[in-house]
Amino acid sequence: MSFSLNEMEATAKRATRGAGYCWGQAEEAAKATRWLCAQGLDGASSLAALLSLGFASNPSMHRPKGASGVWTGEVALCPLSVGPLLSDSAHLLDEGHIEIHDLAAPALLLPFASYAARALNCAVAVEIDQIEAITDGVALSAPDRFPARAQRVVIHRSADPVSPCAQHTRANPTDADWDTLTTFAHRTYAPATEESRLLGAGAGLSDND
Amino acid sequence: METQTETQIERRDPATVMRLSRLGSLHQCRLSFMRQLTRRLAQENWSFTRPVFDIDANGVGRAVYTAQGPERAYSLVAFAHDLPPEQRSDRVIAEAWDATFTLFDGIPTQADIDRLSRNVPLQEAGRVSESELSLSRANRSVRLWKHVVDALAAGQQPDLSQIHQVGYLMRTTAVYGSGKFGAADRERVANRPEAQAPFQVEMLSVFLTRTFVRDLVQHMANAKGGDQAAQLDPEIARWLGIGNSTGLGMAPFIVNHPVLFNNWIMAREEAIARVRSVATATRDEVDQFRNLFRRSQLSISWWQSEHPIQIKKLAHLNADLKAIAAYLDDDDLSGVSPWDRLVSWSETALSEEGQEFVASLILEPYPGLVDGLTSCMADSRTEAFVINGRMSIGQACGLIQETYGWALDLDWTAREHCARAWYVSEEKLEPRLGERFEEPIEAYEQPLAPARDAAAAYTALSGWDDSQTIAEFLLRHPEHRHTIRRVQLARSAPYGEIRDNTIGEKVLPIDMLRAKLSFFGATHFDPRSDRWVRICMYSGAPYPEELTAENADLWVYPQDPA
Repeated sequence: MSFSLNEMEATAKRATRGAGYCWGQAEEAAKATRWLCAQGLDGASSLAALLSLGFASNPSMHRPKGASGVWTGEVALCPLSVGPLLSDSAHLLDEGHIEIHDLAAPALLLPFASYAARALNCAVAVEIDQIEAITDGVALSAPDRFPARAQRVVIHRSADPVSPCAQHTRANPTDADWDTLTTFAHRTYAPATEESRLLGAGAGLSDND
Repeated sequence: METQTETQIERRDPATVMRLSRLGSLHQCRLSFMRQLTRRLAQENWSFTRPVFDIDANGVGRAVYTAQGPERAYSLVAFAHDLPPEQRSDRVIAEAWDATFTLFDGIPTQADIDRLSRNVPLQEAGRVSESELSLSRANRSVRLWKHVVDALAAGQQPDLSQIHQVGYLMRTTAVYGSGKFGAADRERVANRPEAQAPFQVEMLSVFLTRTFVRDLVQHMANAKGGDQAAQLDPEIARWLGIGNSTGLGMAPFIVNHPVLFNNWIMAREEAIARVRSVATATRDEVDQFRNLFRRSQLSISWWQSEHPIQIKKLAHLNADLKAIAAYLDDDDLSGVSPWDRLVSWSETALSEEGQEFVASLILEPYPGLVDGLTSCMADSRTEAFVINGRMSIGQACGLIQETYGWALDLDWTAREHCARAWYVSEEKLEPRLGERFEEPIEAYEQPLAPARDAAAAYTALSGWDDSQTIAEFLLRHPEHRHTIRRVQLARSAPYGEIRDNTIGEKVLPIDMLRAKLSFFGATHFDPRSDRWVRICMYSGAPYPEELTAENADLWVYPQDPA
């Protein structure tokens, strides 16, 4: 089904929160998923796959130990920790490349590379094992599909021009991925009680007047 | 005459402006979104047609109203229904309405209308497409609807005093825009001149809805009265606005869009500062102000509420109007800095209702100083979302103190300071406000208490060295990421943060609703509870076919027919 990018973003935010991430990461995941969909990539698929891994139950295992040296975690890294660290530390790309080992759902790193590109005012290349994507902050030049997990990711400034994909105004997730996201999102909704129906929304007066 | 544009008076302090009680006292002004729309429609000479009006004697059917502008057309597609009274509810959990609508981007084909007829009447349970810009519904004011139909059917005109008291024949109970339920995202229209300012699509939808409702009530009167039915007098029809019934959904909006909300408030504050800085007022400017003050008094005399909070506020406002009248008897506004003197006096003599009324009203004689600010009210800075990770911990702490200093010493674990929690209900996904200590909702809490979260971040930051970067902190503490983002945004959006507790036991969500609705240009706020408010829109406005440059702006101030 065709969804607006706002619907995609709102669902991604609730799903990420429902999967156990904190609000700030949910906001990042939502913008990142929207950005991927706007580039014509299947952002819903990347996010649904990531959330199904259950990393949020033990976040410290899945984040880099620090921004210096190679970024590694105890086990596979989470792009919702690595991505924000990349955009927060974009200036490191002025000093050299950033190398990341064992990253889940690497496509989700691309939107954060675009933030870095905007901050540095130059193109940024993301090498994910054998494939490469380049973004200038707005557009993305990339293959259609990305691996579920990357052994080695290298990010660096690039002088190559970006040949952009067409910008898309709708998201077209598969039914299965959309179901996965809405199932996670559902965890953020409080079960209704008769009391909350009346008190929580403040109704009570008749509307037949 | 050339108006002085150099600003000497500073904008008011966000710490004063952004208190909830003041936000809950805001009044419409020249910058209001409805008035921006009607001014543009008149200036650009938009034309209006009704290509479809296919409604039966029971009031069931469809209609299309098209607004044609210089570059593009927009069409309201309306569906009228026969709603049993027991199903009539303003609540978002309703499943049927008296009428349902969508604003179509362009002119719909028959196939479009057929597609929409299978979806729009279902509202949230249906789907619209990228060709649609809004989705809305409305219910009748049962009392006034019956009165107007019966009067016209009997060959009489309806009673004007009843119209003034209710204000509208139908009230919308939701107007969804910007990508909701499959509709086009705002980005589709944001670069069009007519849609650049906030909520212009929604305001156009409501403007056309009002015309549909007038036509529908005439249609029903004709069906009932046959040959003896009277035509509704246009002078009476003009006082029929469109109501709106708004629940809690709007309150999270202003917290979740701090840059957008800042841009609205900052535009108004800048306008106030510019007018306060005017050295002397011309005779015409003073006359205009006095004239509109008189007309405001008439409008406020029609403002009714049964809610104790608003009854008290109205009593204060009416006392304020008397005080202002006395001030204007003593001061002919001919001296130096007349508007600054008036505002400074209001701060010592009037309630917040009266102060904000004055602050809005002084803008009226100065379109040259004020109206250009309308172009600053949208939020197009998507890059503002990105955190500056190189900021030092010391700087971040300084920013928190600046915006949330008032919140840092509050005991956020004390019951009175955190008695409430915002959450989203499972059914219909509507935002609600619950009792943290009485309902099992805390696990579902939405991040709508920025001040509490800022105090928590401040405490966490205190264990870190001031010279470390915020990136290092956020890697270890992603739970403060949403707060650091807001704090950084507040540097360029000082009016984006409410400087009050949004989860305390005394919080009144209607204050947040009114702040937003006042920028729409709403009048006659009528709270139905502490979290639910009815308003009136477009009362006094010309209908599309009556719109001229002369009547497109000041219609919000009624002229006494006598």
